Amino acid sequence: MRGRRWLLAFAVLVGAAVTLAAPAQNPGRFQVRNAYVELANGAWLLDVSLDLGLADAARRAFEEGVPLVLRLEIEASVDRRLLPAEEVVSLTRDWQVAYDAIADRFVVTDDASGAHVSHATQAEALEALSRISGIVIADTAVLPEGRRFDVRVRATVEVGELPAAVRMLLFWRDWSRSTEWYAWKVRP
Amino acid sequence: MMRRWLPFVFGAGFLIWVAALVMLAMTAEGPQRFGELYLLILLVNVTGVIALLVLIGGRLADFVRDWRRHVPGSRLRGRTLLMFGGLAIAPLLLVFTFSIMFLTRGIDSWFHAEVRQGLTDALGLSRAALDMRMREYLERTVRIAGRLEGLSQGSLYFALDDELHAAGAEEFVVTSAGGQPIAFSRAGLLHALPAVPPEDLLMQLRRGQPHVSLQPAPGGGYQVRAAATIRAGPGESTRLLVAIYPVPQRLSDLAATVQTAYQQYGQLSYLREPLKATFVLTLSLVLLMALLAAVYGALYFSERLVRPVQDLIAGTRAVAKGDFDTRLLRASHDEIGFLVTSFNDMTKKLARAREETERSRAAVEAERAALAVILARLTSGVISLEPDLRVRVANQAAGSILGADFTGSAGRPLAEIAAGEPILAELHAVMQRHFEAGETEWREQVTLRTDSGRRELVVACTALPGDAGTQGLVLVFDEVTQLLQAQRQAAWGEVARRLAHEIRNPLTPIQLSAERMRRKLMRGLAASEAELLDRSTQTIVQQVEAMKQMVAAFSEYARAPDMHVSEFDLGALVRQVSDLYHAQDSRVAFGLSLDPKAALLEADPGRIRQLLNNLLTNSLEALDGTPNPVIMIETKRVGDLVALTVVDNGPGFQGGLLEQAFDPYVTSKPKGTGLGLAIVRRIVEEHGGQVEVDNAPQGGARVRITLPATAREARRAEARREKA
Repeated sequence: MRGRRWLLAFAVLVGAAVTLAAPAQNPGRFQVRNAYVELANGAWLLDVSLDLGLADAARRAFEEGVPLVLRLEIEASVDRRLLPAEEVVSLTRDWQVAYDAIADRFVVTDDASGAHVSHATQAEALEALSRISGIVIADTAVLPEGRRFDVRVRATVEVGELPAAVRMLLFWRDWSRSTEWYAWKVRP
Repeated sequence: MMRRWLPFVFGAGFLIWVAALVMLAMTAEGPQRFGELYLLILLVNVTGVIALLVLIGGRLADFVRDWRRHVPGSRLRGRTLLMFGGLAIAPLLLVFTFSIMFLTRGIDSWFHAEVRQGLTDALGLSRAALDMRMREYLERTVRIAGRLEGLSQGSLYFALDDELHAAGAEEFVVTSAGGQPIAFSRAGLLHALPAVPPEDLLMQLRRGQPHVSLQPAPGGGYQVRAAATIRAGPGESTRLLVAIYPVPQRLSDLAATVQTAYQQYGQLSYLREPLKATFVLTLSLVLLMALLAAVYGALYFSERLVRPVQDLIAGTRAVAKGDFDTRLLRASHDEIGFLVTSFNDMTKKLARAREETERSRAAVEAERAALAVILARLTSGVISLEPDLRVRVANQAAGSILGADFTGSAGRPLAEIAAGEPILAELHAVMQRHFEAGETEWREQVTLRTDSGRRELVVACTALPGDAGTQGLVLVFDEVTQLLQAQRQAAWGEVARRLAHEIRNPLTPIQLSAERMRRKLMRGLAASEAELLDRSTQTIVQQVEAMKQMVAAFSEYARAPDMHVSEFDLGALVRQVSDLYHAQDSRVAFGLSLDPKAALLEADPGRIRQLLNNLLTNSLEALDGTPNPVIMIETKRVGDLVALTVVDNGPGFQGGLLEQAFDPYVTSKPKGTGLGLAIVRRIVEEHGGQVEVDNAPQGGARVRITLPATAREARRAEARREKA
């Protein structure tokens, strides 16, 4: 009986220590909620909806003024007979969201076009960032209409714009977070 | 072999480690590169630390094992290790401690309240400056919106253009209440349609409040967006005016600078604690690596420093065990190298000295062995004595001549050994006499009286010279008994031959003359005179006859006819001769003990018969007057020899006769010529045998003869005798 008490006390202590020692993490959900492509005017357009939950570290960094980068990786491949599928599309698009203290606004910038949109709140900025639409991934010369192909996307959020020395010294920190690949088949 | 490659392995490891650090620096260029190289960098670093730990563990284990086994040099290595380790670790820890202090305080100094306040104030100042502009632009926009009230769609474009130029704005857009553009005017190129106003702007206007905000410009800097409601006339819908005004370049640049500084400060502020922790961890990692490297270096260099000393100790021990071939490798040109060279020179000299000693010892051993061989083969007896007359060494001949056993006699006093040896005791007495007289160099012919007769020794004593006086004595002696006897025999033989030659010739004329004188004169003489003449001539004839017999005996003794060797039955010959003598004198009893193994003898049967005749004649003559006379004859096979013993129960050899029994003319009988035993001895020696005479324990004379059983053995014995 006495032994069990000691065992229980030890377990409580270990649990408390682990709880205190473990970093407080509330990463939220970060996933590709939905994605699809559609053909419009001879081009395949991609729409992606994300659950953009940030890890605590990334969120704190963002609130302190550290910009975040959202990277979207898009790949498309077509099946071949007796051969592995051929990857015909592989592209990456980046968006950056940063807080402007002078304007007191959150600015989302499309790195590909340079266009940026400011938002009054962080939530609005992240909400805008989580809905990406109309990205041209290929034209029908690459992905002919009527041909069956596979598409997959993956999003990554990184804490960017850090000094190089800091990035080197804090190499073990979780500065980056990626979703699983979201894949689907496009049938004619 | 492994030790040769160790520096290259270390060099390669160091280069890989440096490459890993370079790669680590490269990863800072972008997160993608970082992700690619992260595992590799981590692997290299962890491998490096593990490799160092393994190497240190191995060397430490070696060191602890050596320490526990008290391996020579391990204590010195331990002290050296402590010294090196202490010298390396203490400054490292000191530098580490102060580095941490300076670092944390330095980082903290970046975030002084004054700095943050200054930045906040700069931000506030920038905002205040921009707020004035924004209010001005808002008022301007509200006024323009008032002027645009009631305008038709067509005139609205013209009015917007006029107002745009008058207000110095970049863009005016009139939208519906829902934000759909109705008309717009822009100062620059119309590269795109105006965008739909953001929702927050529309909501603010719907609440009846004008909107003004600062917007980051696409090409950098800022612009002011102001919006106001264009009140609608009757029958019209409400419209909105959204205007974009530029911020002066100077003000925009300053604001951008403040923004950048504020943003970077925020980042640094956010990274303040992680930075400190990172630096501490990085420094700790560097310290750990440096400490491991220092410990390994201490182990490595202490081993290198101590190794020559260990080699020297091992070499010294090897030399102490007699291994003078030990050579140490000179690994340096410092004092240790000089010591190694000196050690190698010393071992070379020691090896040479030992070789010379070995050669000398081998020479001495060879000489000693040769001397031992010479001593063993010498027929002369040699006894080496200590100054106190303890036996040092005695050869085999000494033992056989003196009839003593010198086995294990080394170190024993000669007097103690002589206690049970009568011949040696007599010799010792002679020595003692000279010794007491202080004579160390002397030569003397010593006559020893033994049970088997008189023995003559020629003894010479010589002192061994030494650094501190006499080192001992050497006694060399030869038995010359047989030599003297041989000399006497030779002399007597010559005498006998001359006597036989000189006396025999005149005897016959004397006898013939005496007989003629008797024959011629007998008739003319008176009876008395005739009787006198007859007696005289008879006497002359008898004496001449006796002299003839004596001359014949001498002749027999002197002559040496050819041997006629053949194999015959010795037992049969003994029986035949004994029967003959028994028939001649039947009162003498003959006892025969004949060994069947000794039946066949290869010799001259005629001479053996003469030998038996002489012995039995001697015995019969000696037994004259002895009650119950008995003669015992025994034959026996002893190895390759045949022994013949004749014993009687007569008076035996009297007094000094025993010593001169084989000399011619030595006899105790009134009628004997004294040549019987002399002839026996000559016959025995002609057959390569030996003859001894003594008195039997129960009384009577005893003659023992040993003859080789075969002629071959006889020739061998003769050869040995001649060699001796």
